[in-house]
Amino acid sequence: MHPNLSFDQAPPISVPYRFFLAAPWFGVLAGLLLAWSGGDVLVSRWTPEVLALTHLVGAGFMLQAMSGALFQFIPVAVGGNVWRPRLVANVVHPLLVVAALLLVAGLLFSSPAYLTAAVPLFLLGTGGLVAAVAVALWRTPATGMTLWSMRMAIGGLAVTVLLGSLLAEALARGLDLPVIDLTNVHLAWALGGWALMLLAGVSYHVVPMFQLTRPYPLWFTRSFGPLLLLLLCAWSSRLLFDDDRWVTAIALPLLLVFSAYAIMTLWLQYTRRRKVDDATSLYFRVSMVSMLGFALAGAVVRLHPEFGDDPRSIVWLGVLVFDGVFVSAITGMMYKITPFLNWLHLQRLGAPISAVPNMKKMIPADDMTGQLRLHVLALLLLLVAVWQPSLARLAGFAFATSCAWLAWNLIGAARRYRMFTNQIRAVVLHP
Amino acid sequence: MTRVIDGREMQPPEPMERTLEALEMLPDGDELLLLLYCQPHPLFNILKNNGYEWTENLLPEGTREIRIRKQPG
Repeated sequence: MHPNLSFDQAPPISVPYRFFLAAPWFGVLAGLLLAWSGGDVLVSRWTPEVLALTHLVGAGFMLQAMSGALFQFIPVAVGGNVWRPRLVANVVHPLLVVAALLLVAGLLFSSPAYLTAAVPLFLLGTGGLVAAVAVALWRTPATGMTLWSMRMAIGGLAVTVLLGSLLAEALARGLDLPVIDLTNVHLAWALGGWALMLLAGVSYHVVPMFQLTRPYPLWFTRSFGPLLLLLLCAWSSRLLFDDDRWVTAIALPLLLVFSAYAIMTLWLQYTRRRKVDDATSLYFRVSMVSMLGFALAGAVVRLHPEFGDDPRSIVWLGVLVFDGVFVSAITGMMYKITPFLNWLHLQRLGAPISAVPNMKKMIPADDMTGQLRLHVLALLLLLVAVWQPSLARLAGFAFATSCAWLAWNLIGAARRYRMFTNQIRAVVLHP
Repeated sequence: MTRVIDGREMQPPEPMERTLEALEMLPDGDELLLLLYCQPHPLFNILKNNGYEWTENLLPEGTREIRIRKQPG
């Protein structure tokens, strides 16, 4: 019967793949930029190089991978359908790539022309993505906190991009705006409202599924997203009144919420009955430990400002959260999503189940764990390089190489998909 | 008769593979019970497009009981 089954109308495999295949190259660029610039640029979060590095990872690597994941997760995790996904991706993907590169160039060279050129492209690209995804997320009959977290994350992306556009215009045109406060609010929405909200929502679905843990407790999933959203709104109120005690009163619960997600995920991994220590599980562990480190160090800096006097401490926190938390979790996720995508789309070709290769054949396990080891080494080097500038070039090369290896592994998965497709078509046409 | 597939400790796509295999041999009137910790939307789409009906029940500890049978007629 299986060869006659009709499969769903999920997006063509090229839609998520084009985002996944583009993401690592932004990481390669970030590593090369650091290797070229050297360690002196890591002295403060406000150097042009650090601003460029942050956006190569945040608006490049992370935004690309997370956009691709959205296209794939909406049908698979919440049963929704994005309107004409190929068309939306054809428009949104190049816009986001060019916008991110222009933004990075604008920040790196302090160029008003590049910054003002990036803004409309970002607004169009993310606007198109948010609109298409939001319609799909509101139309689906599914329920549950994965769906609600994805809805909130899309809102978080919209706020992040609007604030970012305002900041870019302020820098380009010299507008009289509270740039530091706006940046802190922009960053909180980017990391919390968009990245963590989406990561958590997707985790509710994929951590039990792929890492064979028990599900996240209902009390946790029901309270995590709304609490995070509430705290982000409270954090944004720093734009209205400037009271350091209020900022601390919001920052600490916000960091506690970050840690709660990390502790819950580590606990679920620790208490699972069947241990699976594949690259994804290990990547998640690196991510969650980094998140705990980020929350703890962030709280120390907030409560004892003398630790935060050295501006490098904020750069160190940035390395931990961008690379340690999000690049790790996203890479781990891509190592499960791409093989699963291959398998799902190969199933649709109508071959008997036995003719469809196992998911484990899509990316060799050794390639993933080798890349993971290099990623961890690069992360450690980056964390040390903030305080030991002589290591920055080496750290940059290590990060660039680990991202290039990730790209190679994902390209391999795409190549194998094509090869297996040809094999299966041959079986179906000439049984 | 009810056949049970406990997919809670299986890595994807094994639960879906086993379910599709079991559906091949499911006699009219019999039921397939699938236990999972998540909602298998890709499977739901396959069931919907191929004349199966299913019910879903979420247990307090997070297990989803998905009961599948052929649509009558």
